[in-house]
Parts: sequence; structure tokens; C-alpha cells
Amino acid sequence: MTLRSPLGRAIGAGSAKEGVHHWWTQRLSAVALVFLSIWFVVSLLSLPAHDYPTVSAWMRQGWTAVLLIVFVLTAAWHSQLGVRVVVEDYVHDSGMKFLSLALVTFFHVAVAVAGVFAILKVALGGAV
Amino acid sequence: MADFRLPANSRIRKGVTHKAPSGARELRTFRIYRFDPSSGENPSVDTFELDVGECGPMVLDALIRIKDAVDSSLTFRRSCREGICGSCAMNIDGVNRLACTTSMHDLGKEIRIYPLPHMPVVKDLVPDLTHFYAQYASVKPWLVAQTPPPPDGERLQSKAEQEKIDRPAACILCACCSTACPSYWWNSDRYLGPAALLAAYRWIIDSRDEATGERLDALEDPFKLYRCHTIMNCTDVCPKDLNPAKAIAEIKKMLVERQS
Repeated sequence: MTLRSPLGRAIGAGSAKEGVHHWWTQRLSAVALVFLSIWFVVSLLSLPAHDYPTVSAWMRQGWTAVLLIVFVLTAAWHSQLGVRVVVEDYVHDSGMKFLSLALVTFFHVAVAVAGVFAILKVALGGAV
Repeated sequence: MADFRLPANSRIRKGVTHKAPSGARELRTFRIYRFDPSSGENPSVDTFELDVGECGPMVLDALIRIKDAVDSSLTFRRSCREGICGSCAMNIDGVNRLACTTSMHDLGKEIRIYPLPHMPVVKDLVPDLTHFYAQYASVKPWLVAQTPPPPDGERLQSKAEQEKIDRPAACILCACCSTACPSYWWNSDRYLGPAALLAAYRWIIDSRDEATGERLDALEDPFKLYRCHTIMNCTDVCPKDLNPAKAIAEIKKMLVERQS
């Protein structure tokens, strides 16, 4: 029950003056992922074999490691932007929402760092 | 969390059936959502068998016939009966449309009629559109300009400038689009919805308006604007063939463009 005017409710807390950046970055990272995913799949398929020595040798090439890191970071970033929207869409309880958003951010940072670390470990780890 | 089940007091129980008198020539069955807040009972779906040979060809004609001849308590809004007032917007066979411009010839033998989805129901097919109208008002749907109008006439537009607002300005605020939008269902308290955003766009691109920046500022919000996920139900159902989805996309584009 509220006696607030309908217009007052519709205006709410007003505009956050934010959202363009999120929206644009999501589009941009999506476009980047199209190219990165194609590169990733094509490169893997064109390897002569898929055993550990072949793949790790491929990852030790400078450009491969660089592009793999870009791929992992872009994917994690894009995913974080997307999951954030899903949480905002469906979680309406304020406390629950902020908790979920915080966990989503932590999770994606952890995944991104773990991915980069794994790539670097293989790429810089020397011959096996 | 979002509610995926109706609240307990909104769950639908079985309703009554009104059989057609014998000798009906063109029989159609209408299953119509009924809710009477004064009864204290849950809503129901009543069945009306009607000889549509006795009324006009549109769904609204059948509803008026039912109200006249079968059950005078059936409640719905209607006014112009020619698709310009937007009063008789309702969910007919699962699609939001105007009862007055929906021909029964395009529908099956059994026609299901519900109020516009996910809105509070006042009675039967009458939804409470208070918040919807308030959201429309919140985008300031009027001309804002510091330059005084010419002393000898009105503010002029070129033909091309008028054509830009010609279609968006044809919105009749029937609410078919907003109430067809899942994003609006889950977040209508904060998301403005396609109808209000189309109205905002109509004033943003109006060559005579001088508040474009303030209008864009007011929309730049994760909820007011960016809850639109380009589902495009709005454009799909618009009985005036307008394109709110494109208007929203254009607003998003303008917001990006003014940054770089």
C-alpha cells in the first residue's frame, strides 16, 4: 500500500546516467568473440595432432599465447556483462541482488585470472 | 525472484458455461477470463457459446453481443470500434490485439479472451493501466523548447522532418506492446516499456524539440531503457504496425553516438 503518486512511482530514483558503456562493451566483446572463436576452432582443427606435446608447442608460439589470453579475457568479460543482466532481470530482492552481482564478479575475475595463468604456465613453461 | 506462478489469489478456477439456444447457425465458443474483486473469489474462465451470425464480424461485436444478450456483467473497455482509441486492447487467442480490429474469420471455432498480460486486473477484461500511463507521462510527451514560437505562426518542420515522427506519433497507447514484453513483465516497476520509449523517441527526434539531451539523459539507465533485450514482441503485436523495437534501438544508437 502506497499513497505515492503514480508519476512519482514511475520516475522512481530517476536515471542512473549509466548503461551505455555496459551495452556497447557487450556488443563490442561479442563481435571480438566471433573472430576469436573462429580463430580458436580453426587453429585447433588444423593442428596435425591433438596430443599434449603438439598443443603445448602450438601454445608456446608468441601469437598463439597472446590471442589465447585475449580470448579468455574477452570471454570472461562478455560473460560477466551477460550474467549481470540476467541477475538484474530476475533477482528483485535488493540484498540478494547485490550479493549475487558481487559473487558473479568474483567468479568471473577468478576464471579470467586462472585462464591467463594456465596459458602462461604452458606457454612459458619450457619444453616438457 | 521473478514470479513464474500466479499468486494464490490469481489462480484460475473453472467457470460457468452459457450454452447457445438451439437453432444457432454459426456457433462459436468464447472462453473469457472473469474476475470480480467484490466477490472475493479467484478469477475463472467462463464459456460462452454464441451464434455469431447475429452480430458483426469482429471480436468486439461478439463481446458486445454477449454483454447485451447473455451476461450483462461482462466488463470490458471499448469506445471507437475502429482501432484509433486503443481501449479494447486484450489478449485474444494468446496475442495482444484490439478486439475491434480483430476479425473472427481469422480465428478458430474457439476463441480465448484474457485481459492484457501481467497487469493488475480491475474487473474481467479491464486492466489497471495507471502505472503504464504514469510511465508515459514520465517521458514528458510534449514539446520542450527555449526558442519562442514565431510570432506570426506555428513552429515549422520540413517534410522530411515530419516524416520522421509521422509513424512514431501514430501510437494510440493501447498497451499491447508493453504488456507483450517479458522484460516489462519482470521489471515494469523500473523498465519504461516499449510504448513509453516509443513516445520518448518520438520527441527525441522531433526537429522542433530542444530537450534532446535531457531526454537522452533521463533514459540512460540500466533499467529505464536497457532492460530492452530486443525480444521484439512489441513490434510483433502492435495493432498500428509501428516499430517500438526499432525506436528503442535508435535511442541506444544515439546514446553511443553522442559519446564519441
